[in-house]
Amino acid sequence: MKFSLDFIKEFIDLDDSSQSIASRLTMAGMEIGDFEQAGGDWIFDAEITTNRYDWLSMIGIAKELAALLGKKAEIKIPRLIKEPALKEIDIIIENKNDCPVYLVRLIKGVKVEESPSWLKQRLVNCGLNAVNNLVDSTNYCMLKWGNPLHAFDFDKIEGNIYVRRAKKGEKFLGLDDKERSLNKNNLVIADEKKVIALAGIMGAKNAEVDENTKNVLLEAAVFSPLAIRCSRRDAVLETESSYRFERKVFFDYLELASAEAADKIISLSKGKFCGYKSKGESVCRERIKISFSLSKLNDYLGIIIPESEVKTILENLEFTITKASQEGIEVEPPSFRMDIQREVDVYEEVVRVYGYEKIPLVLPFIAVEASRGIYEFKKSLRNFLVGLGLKEVITYSITGEKFLEKLNEENVIKIVNPLRQQENALRSTLLPGAIDVVRYNLNQKSGCLRLFEIADIYKKGKDSQGESFREIFSLSLIITDKENRIFYLKGIVEEILKFANVENYAFKEKGQINFTNALEILNNDTVLGFLGRLDKDKKEGFDLKEDLYFTQINLEALCRQKKDKIFVPFSRFPFISRDISMAIEKKKKFLDIEATIKKEAQPYFKKIEILDTYEGKNVPAGFYFLTLRIYYQAGNKTLTSQEVDAVHNKIRDILTKIEGITLR
Amino acid sequence: MEEQLKKIENEAQQEIAQAESRERLEQLKVKYLGRKSMVTRLFTKIPVLEREEKAKIGKALNLLKQRINFFLEERAKNFEKKEERIDLTFPPEKINRGIKHILACVDENICEIFKNLGFMIVEGREIEDEWHNFTALNIPLEHPSRDVFDTFYLDLPVSDYGGENKGGGKYLLRSHTSPSQIRVMEKRKPPLAVISPGRVYRPDKVDASHSFMFYQIEGFCVDKNINFSHLKGVLFSFAKSFFSEDVKLRFRPHFFPFTEPSAEVDISCMICKGRGCSVCSQSGWVEVLGCGMIHPEVLEACGIDFDRYQGFAFGMGVDRMAMLKYRINDIRLFYENDLRFLEQFYEV
Repeated sequence: MKFSLDFIKEFIDLDDSSQSIASRLTMAGMEIGDFEQAGGDWIFDAEITTNRYDWLSMIGIAKELAALLGKKAEIKIPRLIKEPALKEIDIIIENKNDCPVYLVRLIKGVKVEESPSWLKQRLVNCGLNAVNNLVDSTNYCMLKWGNPLHAFDFDKIEGNIYVRRAKKGEKFLGLDDKERSLNKNNLVIADEKKVIALAGIMGAKNAEVDENTKNVLLEAAVFSPLAIRCSRRDAVLETESSYRFERKVFFDYLELASAEAADKIISLSKGKFCGYKSKGESVCRERIKISFSLSKLNDYLGIIIPESEVKTILENLEFTITKASQEGIEVEPPSFRMDIQREVDVYEEVVRVYGYEKIPLVLPFIAVEASRGIYEFKKSLRNFLVGLGLKEVITYSITGEKFLEKLNEENVIKIVNPLRQQENALRSTLLPGAIDVVRYNLNQKSGCLRLFEIADIYKKGKDSQGESFREIFSLSLIITDKENRIFYLKGIVEEILKFANVENYAFKEKGQINFTNALEILNNDTVLGFLGRLDKDKKEGFDLKEDLYFTQINLEALCRQKKDKIFVPFSRFPFISRDISMAIEKKKKFLDIEATIKKEAQPYFKKIEILDTYEGKNVPAGFYFLTLRIYYQAGNKTLTSQEVDAVHNKIRDILTKIEGITLR
Repeated sequence: MEEQLKKIENEAQQEIAQAESRERLEQLKVKYLGRKSMVTRLFTKIPVLEREEKAKIGKALNLLKQRINFFLEERAKNFEKKEERIDLTFPPEKINRGIKHILACVDENICEIFKNLGFMIVEGREIEDEWHNFTALNIPLEHPSRDVFDTFYLDLPVSDYGGENKGGGKYLLRSHTSPSQIRVMEKRKPPLAVISPGRVYRPDKVDASHSFMFYQIEGFCVDKNINFSHLKGVLFSFAKSFFSEDVKLRFRPHFFPFTEPSAEVDISCMICKGRGCSVCSQSGWVEVLGCGMIHPEVLEACGIDFDRYQGFAFGMGVDRMAMLKYRINDIRLFYENDLRFLEQFYEV
């Protein structure tokens, strides 16, 4: 909010520099973002926190400055004239909760003119436009007291005034020249025939004060903050007026603001006061008393503020000290401070004026239970993957429902109030982020990507705690290439399984929607995830310039099955290798051949290496050639050639007998 | 004869020493040891010599042959060394390096600092209910103070969590990580010191400084004697460790519904060292986080007795911290994942 220093000086003598005023206010909680000179005046731009509705007025700021500087603000109370009573029209408030009080003053015979320059200056320096002597008078009083006011052209009002909810589809053409269609969320001021204002937000064009206006009806009211909030959100329209109503306006100043505005209009436009009417009543908050002990205040802040200082600060802030004894202090907050509810609020008042900077810096001794949680697991996994040469990406958890539909995802959680349709669902797989990041980087001419992401996925469905959704923290591996990288991906996954030290992992060929050559990753019977190559049609559909090899692993499950690593002794005796070549029928699985060899080579089996695979010339149709190197090693001695040959020949014999395998 | 051999050796030695190329060396090898060379010719004469001479000359010839070969080899080494020398101004091989995302790094670094101060890391979950995201934090459901916490609501059935008078309310994407802290306070009794990192969501239109998803870290500490000076001490210690030893902090009164008193914390601008520049809008200070003493209503909502316990809480945006520390000028860079951005960082 902008305010003018000259305006403030109407209520308090100030000789401090603008710099010192700005820093004093900032350090007391009214952050001055900027201040600049404008003619002889200074304009301050203040951030007013939502609890300090009292600072949305020049009087409020003057009072604050007075308290901070140990001065007194002089507020002149205008004469309250309520006679004669207004007879021409009546006011009907539909619901007291929406509008506890509504009052009007009628001024007749006005002459609409430009405002005097001092008044225009005040408004402009506070960030408002000068319009004419009527509107400017209401705005001046709003700025001064904090109570928004509105001036209607009395002759444009047909019949009585109603404060009511809008009917569905009712039209409203505002002073901003925009037409809006209203509904029951909008509180309006209406006459017998039409809506004349969006209550507390903006007047309607149809009752606007213009150069021909002769008689003016001045509105002052208190509206429910919630009603105004809902209405302005619905209408997507925020004004100086709605801003204040939404943060509560002060009942005590309502009559004063109205009376002063009427005085201003009369003196500036030569009008005549012709009537007053009020409906509803001001709801004055019961004055509360708050007790606190000085020692508790000091314990809470970690500082010692002398009692006299505490009292001075509170008195300057217009608190009344009703009791002060050994047991403690009892205070009554000023009536305009409805935000002060309990002792901690008083502590804050004291310390913000006393100065946060005076509180010392102390390190507490903290001893809490040590724990190694999921965060640590993710961190070590991240380090591990980086060690494998992968680069981490972070992509949005929110994606489009359509995107997920294209990936045949089910049980998707949707966002009820999305910003954009392409961001209206929570991802149930890490694939959308992978596709986005791959497409982007491939288009930027970076290729052969080696990426990973650690993030949550979300699905509808009961979880173990009985919630209606599941949030599973997961890992994706994102590999792109022009060549086949499925075995590289499988290798990375195997390293991860070894990292987690799960006992009985296995890869199982299993169809996976969207993927070709997919493998399910298992440990015992638990599915940990899958890996595969994105289908060609999907690749083309998403416009990816390279093949995408993708893995998703359920880290929650992996983390649960993680075992501590225990050292396994290894053999230091030399190993001996023997090669074996064979033609294999394509439908045979390598895994089975490997298992047979492993079993027969015990206890001397060390490892198998694939030396070569070949298809083509000289290979019978439906077969391929495979050359393996088998390594033999004993744990307790050096093997002799004879011992190895015996085992190796046995393996050859067994393989020969298997249908679909021919040794070469 | 001996003299002749000596002469050949000297000539060969001299010529070989002067050879300036491998080709020349080859020519000399042919000249001195080739089929038509003097040495070869002398060898052919051996059979006609006397028995004693035979042995003597043969030995001498062999020796000469060895010597010439030695000269040739030695000279050749010279060329080898030269030939092995390569242009080392060529660029190094490109090393494929794994990289942590800079946000993850900063997140981990911040958590590590608080862990060293004694805090425990608790992540919580991203789908939350209104009770944990708002009500328990003393944020009324319809109030201007909620504007900054605007929220994405989800199409899930209303949560019945909370027991008596604590209806969980509608499900939403958490707009801060405070709900994780509420969940800790509901389950465990003080002393507590917890740091909660994680993704949070707010329906903000994306621009250079706004994102509908970002990272946040919040912390709190509750015990019998925790006070405002501890909050200042802990945050100062953090700022020194994260930014630099000579950083200055400024605590400004502010308002948050869940703390009282509340403060916003500024650090001295690292770019101008507090003199005033465009980054700090000439003020010398840059806002980094919000904090305060936990509001008694919040403690009581979690079943913690305010008469016995008190505590502080604070929260910061990880994206903002990373942007300040590495002078990154656009929040979108974090989520675009352009390799040219990711690869700039060597942080671990």
